Amino acid sequence: MDAKTMIDSLSSQFTGTIYDVSVESDIRIIAKVKPENVKDICRYLKDKLSFGHLCCEFAVDYPNRNEIEVVYVIGSYDHPVVLTLKAILPRDNPEIESVVPVYWNANWYERETYELFGVKYLNHPDLRPLVLPREMLGEWPLRKDYKGFPNKTARNLV
Amino acid sequence: MDNTVGPSEMIVHLGPQHPMMPGPFRLNAKLRGETVVDSEVEMGYIHKGIEKILESKTYLQGITIVDRICYLAALTNEEAYVGCVEKLAGIEVPQRAQYIRVIMEELSRIQSHLLGMGEYASFVGFVSMFMYTIKEREDVMSIMDSVTGARVTHSFLRFGGVKDDLPEGLKEDVKHVFANLRKAIDSYEDMYSTDTIYKGRTVGIGVLQAEAAKDIGVSGPPLRATGVAFDIRKAEPYLVYKDLDFKVCTQTAGDVFARVQVRLDEMRESMYIIEQCLDQIPNGPLFPEGTAYGRRSPVMRVPAGEVFHRVEDPRGEMGFYMVSDGSDKPYRVKIRGPVYPTLQTLPPLLKGVNVADIVAIAGSMDTCTSEVDR
Repeated sequence: MDAKTMIDSLSSQFTGTIYDVSVESDIRIIAKVKPENVKDICRYLKDKLSFGHLCCEFAVDYPNRNEIEVVYVIGSYDHPVVLTLKAILPRDNPEIESVVPVYWNANWYERETYELFGVKYLNHPDLRPLVLPREMLGEWPLRKDYKGFPNKTARNLV
Repeated sequence: MDNTVGPSEMIVHLGPQHPMMPGPFRLNAKLRGETVVDSEVEMGYIHKGIEKILESKTYLQGITIVDRICYLAALTNEEAYVGCVEKLAGIEVPQRAQYIRVIMEELSRIQSHLLGMGEYASFVGFVSMFMYTIKEREDVMSIMDSVTGARVTHSFLRFGGVKDDLPEGLKEDVKHVFANLRKAIDSYEDMYSTDTIYKGRTVGIGVLQAEAAKDIGVSGPPLRATGVAFDIRKAEPYLVYKDLDFKVCTQTAGDVFARVQVRLDEMRESMYIIEQCLDQIPNGPLFPEGTAYGRRSPVMRVPAGEVFHRVEDPRGEMGFYMVSDGSDKPYRVKIRGPVYPTLQTLPPLLKGVNVADIVAIAGSMDTCTSEVDR
């Protein structure tokens, strides 16, 4: 199964929820999805198209467009196609359904995205900070308008 | 993990500083007697914010930063980063440079496995093994040193090529070192497979089934030890790997012993790859001709776009996702390290094992906390 048939199968199954599909090469697809359907699409990808390997999940901040993109990079153990799904969230209140029930290893990726970008994952089993100390929660250091660097990081040393 | 303890239960904190921990992370284990009931991993002790730092560095400066994600896999980290930029900017790497990259990356795989395996043996109390492997590793490091000029953080790759050509006489050095290393690996295998105490500590311990391993997103030797032949060098060949003959080493048991065995086999396979490369390597330029790319990288702006490039790290799948907005600095870089999901599997894997096996299982994953924290 090549990239083209996969994307056809996906768009016929989820009409209207997948848009802006671009096939970059034989093994790379980028598509945008509606945030509320991400979990269903991931379930379909895993069960029907053997996309069983979540490479990573992270966010990109676009202050100019007032948007945060949550990006899912999903690969497979059986075929070389890597699918990039993007869900666009409003920057003031980014909330999205967690995909942990589908991809178990999304747990830490979502915890990290939460503490670094402030994306709230609904129904996540354990949404705690992973790499940052608790008192830095709410500063969202990987957003583009974060001004704390480097003063905040040296705070504890003085 | 639920922090309430019942009768005859206690919580033991292992790490972050503990001589037997593979890197600074903390493992909180809830014990009932000698058995682990539940556990959780705490990260962030060496969080360096490399993803944020890369956003404020030019593309060329980024090469030295990605070296420091994990010092054992500096060259493969560079390959993933440089590969992203090359894909975005459409730079073709000449054949000779591709072969040199393969040689160096396979050498770095050998030295990483030698350290990981030796360190691991000392975790289960086989301390002499560490002395044996570190001796052989020194020779491999000297070869890398003679090519890149550095032992740990190489900064060797450039956009479109490599910094330096191979020195004269490298082929003879490699031949000499590999002859010793082959003997050494045979003797390690012999020691591992005949030592009853070592086998008692490793055979059947920490078993990960193939389906479970796929489900939780493991890659690299821990996955191949379960029998899944997943290797980025085969699944999605980069550089000249599609012209080279090598096999993906697998085992079926999925236990601690199998993971170490996979690493031993991979070192042999890497040596075979390097020998092929040294025989096949063509003469030619190190950088694409007729372009500005050379030993001194030009001040460059990379066309806007997004790319995901992944390579096979000594520990598994290393991927970089890079977003460029057309300026001289990357807009966003996501580093997908192989150990991140591997370390995540520890709590389910440790459920029901003995306290003494915690370090054996955690060590066999060859974790690199520096890479998980980034």
